[in-house]
Amino acid sequence: MTRSALGILLALALWEAAGRGLAEAYVLAPPSAIALWLWQNAGLMARALGETLWNAALGYVIGNGAAVALAGLALAWARSEAMIRGLALLVFCLPLVATGPILRVVFGPGDGPQVALAALAVYYTTLIPLLVGLRAVPEAWLDLVRSYGRGPLQALIRVRARAALPYLVAGLQIAAPAAFLGAMVGEFTGAERGMGVLTLRAMRAMDVEMTWALATVATAIAMLGYLAVGALAARALSEAPSVMLAAPPARRGGGPWTVLLVAAAAMLIWAGGLRLLGLSSFFAKGPLDVAQALTTSSDAAANRAALGEALLETAVFLLPGYAAGLAAGAGLAMLIVLVPAASGAVIPVAVALRSVPIITTAPLVVLLLGRGALGTVTLVAIMVFFPTLIACLHGLRQAPGRILDVMESYAAGPLQQLIRVRIPAMLPAFFAAARMNVPASVLAVTVVEWLATGQGIGSVMALSASLSDYDLLWSAVAVTALLSVLGYGAVGLLERRVLRVYAPEQLA
Amino acid sequence: MTPCGAALTLILEKERDIMRTTASLTRRGLLGAGAAAMGLAALGRPARANIPVSLQLSWLHSTQFAGSYIAKQRGFYEGLDVTLLQGGPNAPVEPPVVSGTALVGISAADYTAAAVAQGAPFRIIGVAMQNNPFAIASLPANPVRSPADLPGKRIGMSLANTPVLEALCQLNGVDASAIEVVPTQYSPQPLLAGEVDCLLCWATDLPVAMTVQGVENETMLMADHGYAVHSQTYIVTEESLAERRAEIVALMAGEVAGWEAYRVDTAAATALTLEMFPDAGLDPEAQLLQAERQVPLMFSELTDANGFGWWTDETVAANIETLALLGREVTADLWDRSILEEVHGA
Repeated sequence: MTRSALGILLALALWEAAGRGLAEAYVLAPPSAIALWLWQNAGLMARALGETLWNAALGYVIGNGAAVALAGLALAWARSEAMIRGLALLVFCLPLVATGPILRVVFGPGDGPQVALAALAVYYTTLIPLLVGLRAVPEAWLDLVRSYGRGPLQALIRVRARAALPYLVAGLQIAAPAAFLGAMVGEFTGAERGMGVLTLRAMRAMDVEMTWALATVATAIAMLGYLAVGALAARALSEAPSVMLAAPPARRGGGPWTVLLVAAAAMLIWAGGLRLLGLSSFFAKGPLDVAQALTTSSDAAANRAALGEALLETAVFLLPGYAAGLAAGAGLAMLIVLVPAASGAVIPVAVALRSVPIITTAPLVVLLLGRGALGTVTLVAIMVFFPTLIACLHGLRQAPGRILDVMESYAAGPLQQLIRVRIPAMLPAFFAAARMNVPASVLAVTVVEWLATGQGIGSVMALSASLSDYDLLWSAVAVTALLSVLGYGAVGLLERRVLRVYAPEQLA
Repeated sequence: MTPCGAALTLILEKERDIMRTTASLTRRGLLGAGAAAMGLAALGRPARANIPVSLQLSWLHSTQFAGSYIAKQRGFYEGLDVTLLQGGPNAPVEPPVVSGTALVGISAADYTAAAVAQGAPFRIIGVAMQNNPFAIASLPANPVRSPADLPGKRIGMSLANTPVLEALCQLNGVDASAIEVVPTQYSPQPLLAGEVDCLLCWATDLPVAMTVQGVENETMLMADHGYAVHSQTYIVTEESLAERRAEIVALMAGEVAGWEAYRVDTAAATALTLEMFPDAGLDPEAQLLQAERQVPLMFSELTDANGFGWWTDETVAANIETLALLGREVTADLWDRSILEEVHGA
């Protein structure tokens, strides 16, 4: 404890020194200046925080409520599960940058888009672990319930709900910072007040103290949310919940029929939704409009070229960042297993990085690392890193004890144990994280492109909205979501191949 | 805002006006006056309740829209209860106007032209910024004072504005390919860090931020070098123009009166902005400077002679020419002066 306190003090001192040294560059504010700013503007900050927190909390409740309801539906009607998973993934892959203006039009003035984006940011990471948890029940327990003549409802209450609780907690915990980020992005669509509004103001006014103060408070609050949910859960659960991002196992990906069915349902919901909401065809484009914009219309070639060029630009940032985040997460997890003392230093930093709302940090990272590739790649890596670390740690620790005992008895060292036992045991968790991180990294890269670098697909979305080129905007959204889903599927295929060799029992 | 909330706001505003005019009253008297106003508001308006309409702003609340705040606070929008909808980086103006959420929107001729090309039935009914606010900001050690200074420089700007730079170059016979464009967004920092030599931005935005931060800078207004694009234009749909004419006239009359009052006292306009939006994180010094720098963009000999928001066939012709350079083909029909004529004629 004292060691980590010392570490924090040392970090603060270094930060202070760097901040003072760089005072002329308008990039870094020292902690003392941040504290002073917060002291002088406590009322302003408190009101903004209250506004954003309230919207985030509403979205958190709605999003997680929806996740629980969908999981219940999937459990009650098993055939719907593949469909629910598919649609849920597709909706989660919609880029926030582009859904914002659409939600603003749908909801009109008020808090609608902020709450909706917060809900959209959380539901998937709760739904998926919950679906896994509800099935993570020994068959014998269900037999026992049945042998007492009780129905599925009793099985749900007495067995499944309890088994699913740790999984639900894992989802709820990750959802806390995500909801905060969603609410802040929502504020960019014309909200009157809140942390997102102030962030924007600070950036443009070159108010470095304010920018850093906002980032600090947002991170602290998101982290508190994360820790508070964890603490509440620890009280409710008899054993500590294992925080794990559980993506559905790749083998349940469903056949081509499921994919077709999901695609058809998505089109139906898309086209039907626009009609139901009675939106003007000036900005509300359906699947047919997008198909036309990309194939038959007079500017189809230009649209395809614009999208292709932007996607390529984005890929250059996205793929290295994604790979670096995965490598850093897995690498650190291994380091922690080899040197358990490191966990005290790594985990708090990792939680903080996960909690930092990318909206406030994107400008900071770009200020520090420049507008080139490095800043964007770093931000994507940060977004990917934490879920990977946690999942890999979980996987590494799941190595079967008996096999480790055998290794011990042959005097195999920790490194040998890591390579021969723990890493194969880690692979399923690693791939689960890799899949879940596809949409997360797309979110990160589009936000940075939009707010800081002005390149790639994120910039195309912002630009096409401001130039009223809604055909191009909806096309960009559709293509990005589709590519994210494909990326998710591709990682799943890779997973099957790798697991067949290294951990065939996982595919059984 | 709910109708009830809107009514309450209106009452509170009336009350505040009464308080201002009767400063010598005692507190008890004030309460009485307030109660009387409330009673009047409750009883006296069934015959002609104020019609709720919305004006969609193009950016976050700031002195950029202070004339509208004055109009709202002083009751210049006669017969209307106007809600001012804030814009933002992810809040395009055109959809709420097309969908009818907002009766009038604040756009710019180039964005409006783009929307019209996509099938939006817009008309421009007023021009708040006669002179386009786009400018090139630079540092005194390496200044850009005319377009001829641009070749060989690195310019930081949103890639979205590439056509703007190209149009400026074409208007002034400058080789655009000799300028290196560095994509930047929303911050003057790259200029200070030496990543770029100049920035393409609004004269009232990043240069103001730099001045307030104590960084000396120079701005070259593009409007002074032939870049003629009306900015902060009021747009409505053709349908509204035909069917909700009286409301549009009342709204524009309020805007005209509000902005004339703004011109008379920018300090008061700034104070009102800060008072109305305490949660917007506005810096008083920057807001005042922005308010002052905005005046020469909005008022000219043309508006002195004809009134706020005016344009002539000549200025429209210049706009059409610049817009063509931006790749936007429009005709003079895009502009409809009948509302302003009605406002200024009355």
